[in-house]
Amino acid sequence: MRLLWSQGAEFSFRPGEFFGREEELTSLLRVCLEGKSGIGASVLLYGPPNIGKSSLLLKLKSELKLLPESAAPPSPFAFYYSFSNILSHPLALSQHFLQEYLWQLLAFLGESPPAAFDLDALCESLTARGHTECRDFLSAHRRYSEKGDGLSALANAFSFPFATGGDLLYPVFLFDDFQYTIKLQNIPEGAIFSILRPYIKSGHFPMIVSGSSPGHVTSSLKREGLYGSFQLLEVGGLSPDDSVRAWAPLFERRKIRMPEHLMVRAAARLGHVPIYQRMFAEEVSFRNAQIEDEVAFENLFAFSITEGKLNRYWREFFENAIPDRVNRARAIKFLKRVMFDQFPIDTFEGAFSLLGTTPEEGGEILSALEFKGLLKSDFEHIEFIRDPVLSDFLFWAFERGVLGKNTSQVAASIVQAKISGSLVEGDREAQEESAEVAKEMMRRWDCREVPALLFDFGKFQERFREKGLLEIVIGLEEDAGKVRLPKISSVSTGYRTLRGGSRFDFDLVAYGFQDGDFSEENLVIWAVDVNTEKTLKHAAVEHFENRCRLLSLDKGLNPDQLRKWILFDGAADPVIVELSDRYGIYLTHRTQMRFFLNLFGMQELEKGKEEKPPPETRADEKPLEFELVLPIKADTEIVAARVAEEVAAYAAVDKDTVDQIKMAIIEACINAFEHSGSEAGKVRLRYILSPERIELFVQDEGKGFRPSSAGDESKRNRGWGLKLISELVDDVDITTGEQGTTVRMVKNLRHGTGEGSTTPDDEG
Amino acid sequence: MSDWTVKTREAGEGTSVVYVNGYLNSRTGKELERVIHDVLDAERPRVVLNFERTRLINSIGISSIIGVVERMTERQGTLAFCSLNRINQELLRITGVSRYVRAFDSEEEALSYFAQSV
Repeated sequence: MRLLWSQGAEFSFRPGEFFGREEELTSLLRVCLEGKSGIGASVLLYGPPNIGKSSLLLKLKSELKLLPESAAPPSPFAFYYSFSNILSHPLALSQHFLQEYLWQLLAFLGESPPAAFDLDALCESLTARGHTECRDFLSAHRRYSEKGDGLSALANAFSFPFATGGDLLYPVFLFDDFQYTIKLQNIPEGAIFSILRPYIKSGHFPMIVSGSSPGHVTSSLKREGLYGSFQLLEVGGLSPDDSVRAWAPLFERRKIRMPEHLMVRAAARLGHVPIYQRMFAEEVSFRNAQIEDEVAFENLFAFSITEGKLNRYWREFFENAIPDRVNRARAIKFLKRVMFDQFPIDTFEGAFSLLGTTPEEGGEILSALEFKGLLKSDFEHIEFIRDPVLSDFLFWAFERGVLGKNTSQVAASIVQAKISGSLVEGDREAQEESAEVAKEMMRRWDCREVPALLFDFGKFQERFREKGLLEIVIGLEEDAGKVRLPKISSVSTGYRTLRGGSRFDFDLVAYGFQDGDFSEENLVIWAVDVNTEKTLKHAAVEHFENRCRLLSLDKGLNPDQLRKWILFDGAADPVIVELSDRYGIYLTHRTQMRFFLNLFGMQELEKGKEEKPPPETRADEKPLEFELVLPIKADTEIVAARVAEEVAAYAAVDKDTVDQIKMAIIEACINAFEHSGSEAGKVRLRYILSPERIELFVQDEGKGFRPSSAGDESKRNRGWGLKLISELVDDVDITTGEQGTTVRMVKNLRHGTGEGSTTPDDEG
Repeated sequence: MSDWTVKTREAGEGTSVVYVNGYLNSRTGKELERVIHDVLDAERPRVVLNFERTRLINSIGISSIIGVVERMTERQGTLAFCSLNRINQELLRITGVSRYVRAFDSEEEALSYFAQSV
């Protein structure tokens, strides 16, 4: 009977195979011991499934048991209890809880508890030690059970431990899989916390609560006013060193040999998650395999993902999490895109659009994933647990389910992807370089008319396959199809490298206006990806198209306003060309790009020609830089304000601060317009965004500020412009040189704005 | 997107409500001053400037508002603002305009203030 219940984790826990997490253990131990003096806190452990939360609890239990007995009583009695989906009826849960508590308490007291799981016998053993209150709780339990009063039974059972302490011991609660308590039949969510509330508040009964659904648990805590009493502790993978050390006992027991350098790789490949390491070791031992080199390792890993232990683990997980087959397939496809294809997604709208479902149906899937700890969410932000093994499993399930590939085909592609994984990283530089070339080109293409064939890989191939250079040039000139390019006002790269808060992950994004007319209706956005792989893959096009869809959705663009463009180096299958065509994506090959550059009188940029960031900034803190050139024309300052808004959105700046930045930049532009040398001049803007601040540079081509010579009209306004700027930003300085006047404005982003951002009206 | 930039509504008892739409810059500012000029024909004019649909005000727009304040003072009229968003409120505060004119959260509040001060 006992084994049928929730003892799985405890039964299979091997203290000898537990590694690392010293810091967590030390702080948890301290919390537990402080219960003695009534200052014990409670802790909520959270983290993805099978990351090792249960092991941590069980390790804590064994550490508490090993404490020297010399300390004066009361001593901590660690009670480990795992909630599970089997115990969804409150009466069953109450009964089991009482049995479990009594059994563990008797064992703690040095008794050998009755072998049969007999509540009466257990109670009698405890009574024999003078704890007569046990009988009262037991008869109350019977009474509530007969009446079918689940809530009272729960309150009775969960209050029982607090009556058993006395001077000798105090219970320390190690509650595992706590998220299941929200699924109790006919019991309101958070009822357990509500019962435990006075005990938690007392500080005498430390409670370590573990669960994979922190969103549900914390909302219960908040409702009960307990949130402040809990410390939150996230449990992630082990440190790389610890996870390498964890191999030793696993391999020793199974007599497996593995070269040391592979241990590091293997541990990383398995996300430094102990349970994966154990499953993998079992897999090796089961197959009697030898792992001598990386390929052998990758092969075995792929096997394990496609038909081995790792596969079974996740398959059962999904079957259990989302029983409905259609929804399960949806969830797997969706997660595969988010995790394996690294699809950037962090909003519910984005998730629903990617799931291809209504918010109701999608909400159900997302909520199941949250319950199981695969995603964390708050009101407007969702975050997925990135787990390398899970990603590969999703890849397998997707390819099998959607494309019908067989196991070995999928295994082969996983191996291939991983072995060639390092290659893709190497291409990053080439990719950035190509993006820079395109960026420079777009800056120069204002309102030009160019042969449409330069954008159309398929037609270009058809017409000019195996033709000479001269023929191509003449052919392009004669071709009637022309594209009129918009006026590009801002173009930026670096979206992909600075993942931080970005959602759309393109290699290059440009803002422009058709026919050089700066009005809302004429706004166009170019989204560009540069693909440096040998062949342009189906997935790359799909991925790009999906990001484009999200961008359109987010910006409310009609299809005509978003221009989609993929530049690629290698070959493209006719099917891919056709697919891109269907999506309305322009495809341009490197050879077409050369003709393009030719048209603008450009050589391909040499490496390193672009400005380098200052050497003192670390790579991961490289500021994002945006540039904009404004023609001197009434109301174009609105474009500058709009770009400022978009830039600020990257740093999740609050609305009030965004408004202040917008107003400051509008004023600086108006100043620049008034003081620029000529009507034909331009105003150059730079926006530099770092986590701490946004720096704005507005440069005109004029001779500097001449307030005294300004006309009546502007004199009236002059004072205001500068005064406003200095009030709206944290720092302003103005320098006049031969190239004109530059106003530099700095707005710090990290300090509080004082008033918050609660303005309800949206002036977008 | 609507085309009008400034429009007026008679709210009774000699009170006009003037609405400013979109970006209050030099062009809209001139339009505002023109509209106010028409309203000023009345004896002791009373005007509520409604900024509910004003998305941005630049420094030239601020100057126009000051112009309106000056005209109203000359004619011994009463002026009130309403429905300012936070940034516009801040701009009027920074430029000191808010010291001369009372601002209300809504048009109703502004009108009832006028009604009481008859």
